[in-house]
Amino acid sequence: MLRKLLSTPTLTTINQRCIATTAVNLKVQSGRYRITPKKDKPLTYEMANPPHFIAHRKSWNSWNTSTIDGGLRPSETAIEDIFIRRFMIGTWHSLLGAEVIIKRQHNMVRVALIIRQAISPRKVYFLIGYCEELLSYWLQCPVKLEIQTIGDRKDVVFKYI
Amino acid sequence: MSQLTRFLERNLQNPSLRLSAIQIRHLSSQAEEEKSFDDEEFRVLNLRPTQVQRQQRRVYKKDEPQPPRTKVMPVDQDWPNVWPGPRTFHPASVPLPLRQGFTEKNAPPPSKYGNAELMKIPNFLHLTPPAINRQCEALKKFCTPWPKNLETAEKWEKHFPVEIVKSDYCHALPSVRQPEARKVSLKIKLSNLKFDKHSKDKFLRLVGDRYNHENDVLTIQTDRCPTKKQNYDYAQYLLTACYYESFEVEDWEATKSLADMEVYEFEHNKSKISTEAILNWGSSGDKKKVDPGFAKSVETLINEGENEYNLKKYKEESKKLLGLK
Repeated sequence: MLRKLLSTPTLTTINQRCIATTAVNLKVQSGRYRITPKKDKPLTYEMANPPHFIAHRKSWNSWNTSTIDGGLRPSETAIEDIFIRRFMIGTWHSLLGAEVIIKRQHNMVRVALIIRQAISPRKVYFLIGYCEELLSYWLQCPVKLEIQTIGDRKDVVFKYI
Repeated sequence: MSQLTRFLERNLQNPSLRLSAIQIRHLSSQAEEEKSFDDEEFRVLNLRPTQVQRQQRRVYKKDEPQPPRTKVMPVDQDWPNVWPGPRTFHPASVPLPLRQGFTEKNAPPPSKYGNAELMKIPNFLHLTPPAINRQCEALKKFCTPWPKNLETAEKWEKHFPVEIVKSDYCHALPSVRQPEARKVSLKIKLSNLKFDKHSKDKFLRLVGDRYNHENDVLTIQTDRCPTKKQNYDYAQYLLTACYYESFEVEDWEATKSLADMEVYEFEHNKSKISTEAILNWGSSGDKKKVDPGFAKSVETLINEGENEYNLKKYKEESKKLLGLK
């Protein structure tokens, strides 16, 4: 009996140690950037201020009423925001100058972007319509894109570290 | 055509016929462009056309971006037309030298161009005083004048004693439903309802702690039905039902004895009989009645308990009753 127990120690350990699939929090590191030796890493204003400066030096990227006391659908709103961000990053690939800003008013979602003037205005118009149409269909509410353009990547750079 | 030319070339090697051959060449201009086979060499089969001249790639001509719209805006423009509705800040449309952002070492804050912070914060550029004025003017035709004879709060209370409190919620969601919006509360001052003594007592027992003794207000809050309309109807029903129920007298209510009374009442107690006996002692004919001041003092003394004020009052009333000085 004793031999049998000793011969299968892995089984018990597997039972006790479950696999954790949650992402690590990394509270100390996340949202902060390391200084480069040549001090030539460009940071936007958003990147230059770490997360604890939210509501002090910078404001939120998502504006909605889900997180207030008694707010409804907090989890759904968060998931939708993540989806919109990923969709925007993929659609406006290598064009985004800053973080995607998502504002919700009643049933309307307004997405604000800063893009580079690297593609023709015709393509920009197409992409605006494409994003609005698809996101409206997926989220089942009107979506508006509000775009500001910058001539160069350096226009949004706040400092170099 | 070219094959024909070649055929002619080969056959016309004879110098006597060269002249005519030249004439033919002149006629066929395409053949002239091809490589001549004067040296009787084989043609080279070029499988990889490396020698072909590359087409020059078209240079993409980038359009020069337009200058910001603020530079061509007239000073006396109609701003509500420029910014008619809620919109994210756009630096080329707002002719204000705005800056936002925290900087160290006395550096100027980042300008409005490419500034995400200005895009994040909600702005009220669509709610300038002229814009609000215009909206109010547009809404005016839907308004009705305030009813006459309802100018003061006292008149509102007199003519509309029931107060209904409902709430609607605005939130940033695709759904307009909010479970809290179903709650309805009904408020009424009890002095607006007509009661007799029994029904008032019974009504207060029915409503329990929904009645506030301090300001005489009854509050009925309903939230058990799923919609606001149903809760409103239910509140109205509760008020009506309680009111009419309080006038019902059940059989068992007659069996209430002196010991069941919750307050001391002079009228129903031994004290009244004794006092009347003292007052009418030895006299016949019409009986003297007890002074209501004395009855009141006895009631307060027993209901509120003995204190200096109540005892003093009782003493005075007793002296008055017995004609003592």
